[in-house]
Amino acid sequence: MAAGRLTARTDADLIQASKRGDLSAFEEIYAAHAGRMKSVAFHLLADRSDAEDAVQEAFLKIYRAAGAIQFDSGLAPWIYRILLNCCYDTGRKRKRQAESPLSAEPPAIPGNAPLQVAIRQALGRIHPQYRMVFWLFEGEGFRHSEVAAILEIPEGTSKKWLFEAKRELKRLLTESRA
Amino acid sequence: MTFDCKDLERALAVPELLPDAREHAKVCDACRRELWLWSQMSGAAPGLREEWETPDLWPKIRQTLAAQQKAAKPRGLVGRFDWRMMAGIAAALTIAVSVVIMQYSRPAPAPATPQDSDFLTEQTLKEVEQTEAAYRASIDKLTRLAQPKLNASENPAAIAAREKLLVLDSEIASVRSTVSRNRFNAQLQAGLAVLYRDKQDTLKEILQSAQ
Repeated sequence: MAAGRLTARTDADLIQASKRGDLSAFEEIYAAHAGRMKSVAFHLLADRSDAEDAVQEAFLKIYRAAGAIQFDSGLAPWIYRILLNCCYDTGRKRKRQAESPLSAEPPAIPGNAPLQVAIRQALGRIHPQYRMVFWLFEGEGFRHSEVAAILEIPEGTSKKWLFEAKRELKRLLTESRA
Repeated sequence: MTFDCKDLERALAVPELLPDAREHAKVCDACRRELWLWSQMSGAAPGLREEWETPDLWPKIRQTLAAQQKAAKPRGLVGRFDWRMMAGIAAALTIAVSVVIMQYSRPAPAPATPQDSDFLTEQTLKEVEQTEAAYRASIDKLTRLAQPKLNASENPAAIAAREKLLVLDSEIASVRSTVSRNRFNAQLQAGLAVLYRDKQDTLKEILQSAQ
Protein backbone atom coordinates (compact mmCIF):
# COMPACT_ATOMS: atom_id res chain seq x y z
CA MET A 1 0.00 0.00 0.00
CA ALA A 2 1.18 3.52 -0.71
CA ALA A 3 3.13 5.48 1.87
CA GLY A 4 1.03 7.70 4.09
CA ARG A 5 -1.76 5.20 4.36
CA LEU A 6 -3.80 5.68 7.48
CA THR A 7 -3.81 3.01 10.11
CA ALA A 8 -7.05 1.14 10.79
CA ARG A 9 -7.36 2.85 14.17
CA THR A 10 -6.88 6.29 12.70
CA ASP A 11 -9.33 5.46 9.95
CA ALA A 12 -11.84 4.38 12.58
CA ASP A 13 -11.30 7.58 14.57
CA LEU A 14 -11.71 9.72 11.49
CA ILE A 15 -14.85 7.92 10.44
CA GLN A 16 -16.29 8.23 13.94
CA ALA A 17 -15.56 11.96 13.92
CA SER A 18 -17.05 12.27 10.42
CA LYS A 19 -20.20 10.54 11.63
CA ARG A 20 -20.52 13.30 14.21
CA GLY A 21 -20.39 15.88 11.42
CA ASP A 22 -16.70 16.78 11.78
CA LEU A 23 -15.79 17.85 8.24
CA SER A 24 -12.11 18.44 9.10
CA ALA A 25 -11.83 14.74 10.01
CA PHE A 26 -13.49 13.86 6.74
CA GLU A 27 -11.05 16.16 4.92
CA GLU A 28 -8.21 14.00 6.30
CA ILE A 29 -9.80 10.93 4.74
CA TYR A 30 -10.11 12.87 1.50
CA ALA A 31 -6.47 13.96 1.64
CA ALA A 32 -5.30 10.39 2.22
CA HIS A 33 -7.28 8.79 -0.59
CA ALA A 34 -8.40 11.32 -3.19
CA GLY A 35 -5.24 11.24 -5.32
CA ARG A 36 -5.34 7.51 -5.88
CA MET A 37 -9.11 7.55 -6.24
CA LYS A 38 -8.84 10.08 -9.06
CA SER A 39 -6.29 7.88 -10.80
CA VAL A 40 -8.48 4.77 -10.48
CA ALA A 41 -11.51 6.71 -11.69
CA PHE A 42 -9.57 8.15 -14.59
CA HIS A 43 -8.41 4.70 -15.53
CA LEU A 44 -12.03 3.54 -15.70
CA LEU A 45 -13.57 6.61 -17.31
CA ALA A 46 -10.67 7.93 -19.42
CA ASP A 47 -11.68 11.50 -18.70
CA ARG A 48 -10.45 13.78 -15.93
CA SER A 49 -13.67 15.68 -15.55
CA ASP A 50 -15.72 12.47 -15.31
CA ALA A 51 -13.17 11.06 -12.86
CA GLU A 52 -13.50 14.14 -10.65
CA ASP A 53 -17.30 13.86 -10.76
CA ALA A 54 -17.10 10.21 -9.75
CA VAL A 55 -14.69 10.96 -6.89
CA GLN A 56 -16.89 13.79 -5.67
CA GLU A 57 -19.97 11.57 -5.74
CA ALA A 58 -18.03 8.82 -3.99
CA PHE A 59 -17.02 11.12 -1.13
CA LEU A 60 -20.60 12.33 -0.69
CA LYS A 61 -21.75 8.71 -0.46
CA ILE A 62 -18.90 7.78 1.86
CA TYR A 63 -19.87 10.59 4.21
CA ARG A 64 -23.53 9.61 4.17
CA ALA A 65 -22.73 5.95 4.70
CA ALA A 66 -20.02 6.49 7.33
CA GLY A 67 -22.27 5.05 10.01
CA ALA A 68 -22.56 1.74 8.20
CA ILE A 69 -18.88 0.98 7.62
CA GLN A 70 -17.52 -2.32 8.88
CA PHE A 71 -13.79 -2.25 9.58
CA ASP A 72 -13.31 -5.97 8.96
CA SER A 73 -11.23 -5.35 5.86
CA GLY A 74 -10.20 -1.76 6.49
CA LEU A 75 -11.43 1.54 5.18
CA ALA A 76 -9.73 1.52 1.78
CA PRO A 77 -11.59 -1.44 0.21
CA TRP A 78 -14.91 0.02 1.32
CA ILE A 79 -14.03 3.44 -0.11
CA TYR A 80 -12.88 1.97 -3.42
CA ARG A 81 -15.95 -0.21 -3.73
CA ILE A 82 -18.07 2.93 -3.47
CA LEU A 83 -15.81 4.68 -5.97
CA LEU A 84 -16.09 1.88 -8.52
CA ASN A 85 -19.88 1.98 -8.25
CA CYS A 86 -19.82 5.75 -8.77
CA CYS A 87 -17.57 5.28 -11.81
CA TYR A 88 -20.00 2.76 -13.27
CA ASP A 89 -22.88 5.19 -12.63
CA THR A 90 -20.95 8.05 -14.24
CA GLY A 91 -20.09 5.82 -17.16
CA ARG A 92 -23.72 4.83 -17.61
CA LYS A 93 -24.81 8.48 -17.51
CA ARG A 94 -22.19 9.41 -20.02
CA LYS A 95 -23.22 6.52 -22.22
CA ARG A 96 -26.82 7.68 -22.15
CA GLN A 97 -25.84 11.27 -22.88
CA ALA A 98 -23.34 10.60 -25.62
CA GLU A 99 -24.90 7.41 -26.88
CA SER A 100 -21.42 5.99 -27.08
CA PRO A 101 -20.04 3.02 -25.16
CA LEU A 102 -18.08 3.57 -21.93
CA SER A 103 -14.91 2.22 -23.46
CA ALA A 104 -14.84 2.84 -27.16
CA GLU A 105 -12.97 0.27 -29.20
CA PRO A 106 -9.35 1.13 -28.50
CA PRO A 107 -7.06 1.83 -31.41
CA ALA A 108 -4.65 -0.82 -32.58
CA ILE A 109 -1.24 -0.66 -30.92
CA PRO A 110 1.39 0.87 -33.18
CA GLY A 111 4.47 -1.33 -33.39
CA ASN A 112 6.81 1.46 -32.41
CA ALA A 113 4.77 2.77 -29.46
CA PRO A 114 6.67 3.30 -26.22
CA LEU A 115 5.95 0.51 -23.75
CA GLN A 116 3.68 2.58 -21.48
CA VAL A 117 1.60 3.84 -24.38
CA ALA A 118 1.40 0.32 -25.77
CA ILE A 119 0.34 -1.08 -22.41
CA ARG A 120 -2.30 1.62 -22.00
CA GLN A 121 -3.75 0.76 -25.37
CA ALA A 122 -3.50 -2.97 -24.81
CA LEU A 123 -5.28 -2.62 -21.47
CA GLY A 124 -8.28 -1.25 -23.34
CA ARG A 125 -8.47 -4.48 -25.30
CA ILE A 126 -8.48 -7.03 -22.51
CA HIS A 127 -11.37 -8.30 -20.39
CA PRO A 128 -12.58 -5.54 -18.02
CA GLN A 129 -12.21 -7.77 -14.95
CA TYR A 130 -8.62 -8.67 -15.82
CA ARG A 131 -7.93 -5.03 -16.60
CA MET A 132 -9.30 -3.91 -13.22
CA VAL A 133 -7.19 -6.39 -11.27
CA PHE A 134 -4.08 -5.53 -13.29
CA TRP A 135 -4.65 -1.85 -12.72
CA LEU A 136 -5.35 -2.07 -8.98
CA PHE A 137 -2.43 -4.44 -8.33
CA GLU A 138 0.25 -3.28 -10.74
CA GLY A 139 -0.82 0.30 -11.32
CA GLU A 140 -2.12 1.41 -7.94
CA GLY A 141 -0.11 -0.90 -5.73
CA PHE A 142 -2.89 -2.66 -3.86
CA ARG A 143 -2.13 -6.10 -2.43
CA HIS A 144 -4.10 -9.10 -3.66
CA SER A 145 -6.01 -9.19 -0.37
CA GLU A 146 -7.06 -5.57 -0.92
CA VAL A 147 -7.94 -6.09 -4.58
CA ALA A 148 -10.03 -9.07 -3.50
CA ALA A 149 -11.83 -6.99 -0.86
CA ILE A 150 -12.47 -4.12 -3.28
CA LEU A 151 -13.82 -6.32 -6.04
CA GLU A 152 -15.46 -8.75 -3.60
CA ILE A 153 -13.77 -11.76 -5.12
CA PRO A 154 -11.60 -14.47 -3.52
CA GLU A 155 -7.90 -13.64 -3.26
CA GLY A 156 -7.08 -16.61 -5.48
CA THR A 157 -9.33 -15.16 -8.19
CA SER A 158 -7.47 -11.87 -7.96
CA LYS A 159 -4.18 -13.70 -8.55
CA LYS A 160 -5.66 -15.69 -11.42
CA TRP A 161 -7.13 -12.65 -13.13
CA LEU A 162 -3.82 -10.82 -12.81
CA PHE A 163 -2.10 -13.72 -14.53
CA GLU A 164 -4.72 -13.75 -17.28
CA ALA A 165 -4.41 -9.99 -17.68
CA LYS A 166 -0.65 -10.18 -18.10
CA ARG A 167 -0.87 -13.09 -20.47
CA GLU A 168 -3.35 -11.18 -22.65
CA LEU A 169 -1.27 -8.02 -22.48
CA LYS A 170 1.84 -9.90 -23.45
CA ARG A 171 0.05 -11.44 -26.39
CA LEU A 172 -1.20 -8.06 -27.60
CA LEU A 173 2.18 -6.38 -27.10
CA THR A 174 4.18 -9.07 -28.87
CA GLU A 175 1.63 -9.21 -31.71
CA SER A 176 1.93 -5.46 -32.23
CA ARG A 177 5.70 -5.66 -32.32
CA ALA A 178 5.85 -8.69 -34.61
CA MET B 1 11.93 -29.34 -7.69
CA THR B 2 13.43 -29.51 -11.14
CA PHE B 3 12.18 -26.49 -12.99
CA ASP B 4 11.50 -26.92 -16.68
CA CYS B 5 10.33 -24.51 -19.42
CA LYS B 6 6.86 -26.02 -19.25
CA ASP B 7 6.67 -24.97 -15.58
CA LEU B 8 7.11 -21.32 -16.45
CA GLU B 9 3.44 -20.52 -17.04
CA ARG B 10 2.49 -22.03 -13.69
CA ALA B 11 5.26 -20.03 -12.04
CA LEU B 12 3.91 -16.84 -13.56
CA ALA B 13 0.48 -17.64 -12.15
CA VAL B 14 1.79 -18.64 -8.72
CA PRO B 15 4.22 -15.99 -7.50
CA GLU B 16 5.67 -18.41 -4.91
CA LEU B 17 7.27 -20.36 -7.77
CA LEU B 18 8.99 -17.35 -9.31
CA PRO B 19 12.36 -17.82 -7.54
CA ASP B 20 12.65 -21.26 -9.20
CA ALA B 21 11.68 -19.73 -12.55
CA ARG B 22 14.36 -17.04 -12.20
CA GLU B 23 16.95 -19.65 -11.38
CA HIS B 24 15.95 -21.60 -14.47
CA ALA B 25 15.97 -18.44 -16.62
CA LYS B 26 19.70 -18.03 -15.95
CA VAL B 27 20.30 -20.92 -18.33
CA CYS B 28 17.27 -20.56 -20.65
CA ASP B 29 17.01 -17.64 -23.09
CA ALA B 30 13.32 -18.21 -23.94
CA CYS B 31 12.21 -18.24 -20.31
CA ARG B 32 14.50 -15.30 -19.52
CA ARG B 33 12.82 -13.27 -22.25
CA GLU B 34 9.36 -14.29 -21.02
CA LEU B 35 10.16 -13.27 -17.46
CA TRP B 36 11.65 -10.02 -18.67
CA LEU B 37 8.42 -9.20 -20.58
CA TRP B 38 6.34 -9.84 -17.50
CA SER B 39 8.54 -7.70 -15.31
CA GLN B 40 8.45 -4.95 -17.94
CA MET B 41 4.66 -4.88 -17.76
CA SER B 42 4.73 -4.70 -13.97
CA GLY B 43 7.42 -2.04 -14.04
CA ALA B 44 5.62 0.13 -16.57
CA ALA B 45 2.19 0.01 -14.94
CA PRO B 46 2.81 2.50 -12.08
CA GLY B 47 3.97 4.99 -14.70
CA LEU B 48 0.45 4.93 -16.12
CA ARG B 49 -0.98 6.43 -12.97
CA GLU B 50 -2.76 9.66 -13.66
CA GLU B 51 -2.09 12.50 -11.23
CA TRP B 52 -3.36 16.03 -11.49
CA GLU B 53 -4.19 18.89 -9.19
CA THR B 54 -7.81 19.51 -8.30
CA PRO B 55 -7.80 22.44 -5.88
CA ASP B 56 -11.55 22.95 -6.32
CA LEU B 57 -12.61 19.38 -5.62
CA TRP B 58 -12.49 19.32 -1.82
CA PRO B 59 -14.11 22.78 -1.47
CA LYS B 60 -16.95 21.56 -3.71
CA ILE B 61 -17.39 18.38 -1.65
CA ARG B 62 -17.20 20.33 1.61
CA GLN B 63 -19.72 22.88 0.38
CA THR B 64 -22.16 20.17 -0.69
CA LEU B 65 -21.79 18.33 2.62
CA ALA B 66 -22.25 21.54 4.62
CA ALA B 67 -25.38 22.36 2.62
CA GLN B 68 -26.70 18.83 3.18
CA GLN B 69 -25.99 19.07 6.90
CA LYS B 70 -27.85 22.34 7.05
CA ALA B 71 -30.79 20.97 5.08
CA ALA B 72 -30.85 17.85 7.21
CA LYS B 73 -31.40 19.89 10.36
CA PRO B 74 -35.15 19.89 10.87
CA ARG B 75 -36.78 23.25 11.37
CA GLY B 76 -38.45 22.24 14.59
CA LEU B 77 -37.16 21.21 17.98
CA VAL B 78 -35.27 18.24 16.60
CA GLY B 79 -32.45 20.20 15.03
CA ARG B 80 -32.00 22.77 17.71
CA PHE B 81 -31.97 20.78 20.91
CA ASP B 82 -30.00 17.82 22.04
CA TRP B 83 -31.52 14.97 24.00
CA ARG B 84 -30.74 16.54 27.37
CA MET B 85 -32.73 19.64 26.48
CA MET B 86 -35.53 17.51 25.14
CA ALA B 87 -35.49 15.43 28.29
CA GLY B 88 -35.91 18.71 30.20
CA ILE B 89 -38.82 19.70 28.00
CA ALA B 90 -40.32 16.26 28.50
CA ALA B 91 -39.95 16.61 32.26
CA ALA B 92 -41.69 20.00 32.17
CA LEU B 93 -44.42 18.49 30.04
CA THR B 94 -44.80 15.62 32.48
CA ILE B 95 -45.16 18.03 35.38
CA ALA B 96 -47.74 20.08 33.47
CA VAL B 97 -49.72 16.98 32.54
CA SER B 98 -49.46 15.69 36.13
CA VAL B 99 -50.85 18.96 37.46
CA VAL B 100 -53.76 18.68 35.04
CA ILE B 101 -54.30 15.05 36.01
CA MET B 102 -54.21 15.84 39.72
CA GLN B 103 -56.64 18.69 39.23
CA TYR B 104 -59.12 16.55 37.39
CA SER B 105 -58.55 13.40 39.41
CA ARG B 106 -59.97 15.02 42.52
CA PRO B 107 -63.50 13.96 43.30
CA ALA B 108 -65.73 16.30 41.38
CA PRO B 109 -67.92 18.47 43.55
CA ALA B 110 -70.82 17.73 41.26
CA PRO B 111 -71.36 15.35 38.38
CA ALA B 112 -70.18 16.69 35.09
CA THR B 113 -72.89 17.96 32.87
CA PRO B 114 -72.96 18.52 29.13
CA GLN B 115 -72.84 22.25 29.87
CA ASP B 116 -69.47 21.94 31.60
CA SER B 117 -67.00 22.97 28.89
CA ASP B 118 -64.09 21.06 30.52
CA PHE B 119 -65.84 17.74 29.99
CA LEU B 120 -66.99 16.01 26.84
CA THR B 121 -70.43 14.75 26.05
CA GLU B 122 -70.86 11.13 24.98
CA GLN B 123 -71.34 12.15 21.35
CA THR B 124 -68.31 14.49 21.34
CA LEU B 125 -66.19 11.87 23.03
CA LYS B 126 -67.09 9.40 20.31
CA GLU B 127 -65.95 11.92 17.71
CA VAL B 128 -62.74 12.66 19.61
CA GLU B 129 -61.95 8.96 19.91
CA GLN B 130 -62.62 8.40 16.21
CA THR B 131 -60.35 11.31 15.35
CA GLU B 132 -57.67 9.99 17.68
CA ALA B 133 -57.86 6.55 16.08
CA ALA B 134 -57.49 8.07 12.62
CA TYR B 135 -54.62 10.23 13.88
CA ARG B 136 -52.91 7.21 15.39
CA ALA B 137 -53.28 5.25 12.15
CA SER B 138 -51.80 8.14 10.19
CA ILE B 139 -48.89 8.43 12.63
CA ASP B 140 -48.28 4.68 12.54
CA LYS B 141 -48.06 4.92 8.76
CA LEU B 142 -45.62 7.82 8.99
CA THR B 143 -43.59 5.90 11.55
CA ARG B 144 -43.30 2.91 9.22
CA LEU B 145 -41.99 5.21 6.50
CA ALA B 146 -39.65 7.25 8.66
CA GLN B 147 -38.26 4.61 11.00
CA PRO B 148 -35.94 2.84 8.51
CA LYS B 149 -34.48 6.19 7.41
CA LEU B 150 -34.07 7.26 11.00
CA ASN B 151 -32.44 3.99 12.05
CA ALA B 152 -30.07 4.05 9.10
CA SER B 153 -28.79 7.54 9.82
CA GLU B 154 -26.26 8.50 12.47
CA ASN B 155 -26.17 12.22 11.89
CA PRO B 156 -26.82 14.45 14.93
CA ALA B 157 -30.27 15.49 13.70
CA ALA B 158 -31.33 11.85 13.32
CA ILE B 159 -30.03 10.97 16.79
CA ALA B 160 -31.91 13.95 18.26
CA ALA B 161 -35.06 12.93 16.35
CA ARG B 162 -34.82 9.39 17.73
CA GLU B 163 -34.48 10.73 21.28
CA LYS B 164 -37.41 13.06 20.78
CA LEU B 165 -39.63 10.29 19.44
CA LEU B 166 -38.77 8.10 22.42
CA VAL B 167 -39.73 10.90 24.80
CA LEU B 168 -42.94 11.59 22.89
CA ASP B 169 -43.90 7.91 22.81
CA SER B 170 -43.37 7.67 26.54
CA GLU B 171 -45.48 10.78 27.12
CA ILE B 172 -48.23 9.56 24.80
CA ALA B 173 -48.34 6.21 26.58
CA SER B 174 -48.55 7.93 29.95
CA VAL B 175 -51.30 10.37 28.95
CA ARG B 176 -53.27 7.67 27.13
CA SER B 177 -53.18 5.57 30.23
CA THR B 178 -54.60 8.48 32.25
CA VAL B 179 -57.18 9.27 29.56
CA SER B 180 -58.39 5.68 29.63
CA ARG B 181 -59.37 6.22 33.26
CA ASN B 182 -60.89 9.63 32.60
CA ARG B 183 -62.23 9.55 29.05
CA PHE B 184 -64.49 12.58 29.33
CA ASN B 185 -61.68 14.94 30.33
CA ALA B 186 -61.31 17.50 27.51
CA GLN B 187 -58.00 18.87 28.84
CA LEU B 188 -56.36 15.46 28.79
CA GLN B 189 -57.71 14.73 25.33
CA ALA B 190 -56.36 18.09 24.13
CA GLY B 191 -52.97 17.36 25.71
CA LEU B 192 -52.89 14.00 23.96
CA ALA B 193 -53.73 15.65 20.65
CA VAL B 194 -50.80 18.08 21.13
CA LEU B 195 -48.43 15.16 21.71
CA TYR B 196 -49.73 13.35 18.63
CA ARG B 197 -49.35 16.48 16.52
CA ASP B 198 -45.77 16.93 17.78
CA LYS B 199 -44.96 13.33 16.86
CA GLN B 200 -46.58 13.72 13.46
CA ASP B 201 -44.60 16.93 12.77
CA THR B 202 -41.36 15.26 13.85
CA LEU B 203 -41.95 12.28 11.57
CA LYS B 204 -42.80 14.58 8.65
CA GLU B 205 -39.60 16.54 9.22
CA ILE B 206 -37.58 13.30 9.18
CA LEU B 207 -39.17 12.25 5.92
CA GLN B 208 -38.66 15.67 4.35
CA SER B 209 -35.00 15.84 5.37
CA ALA B 210 -34.43 12.32 3.99
CA GLN B 211 -35.68 13.36 0.53
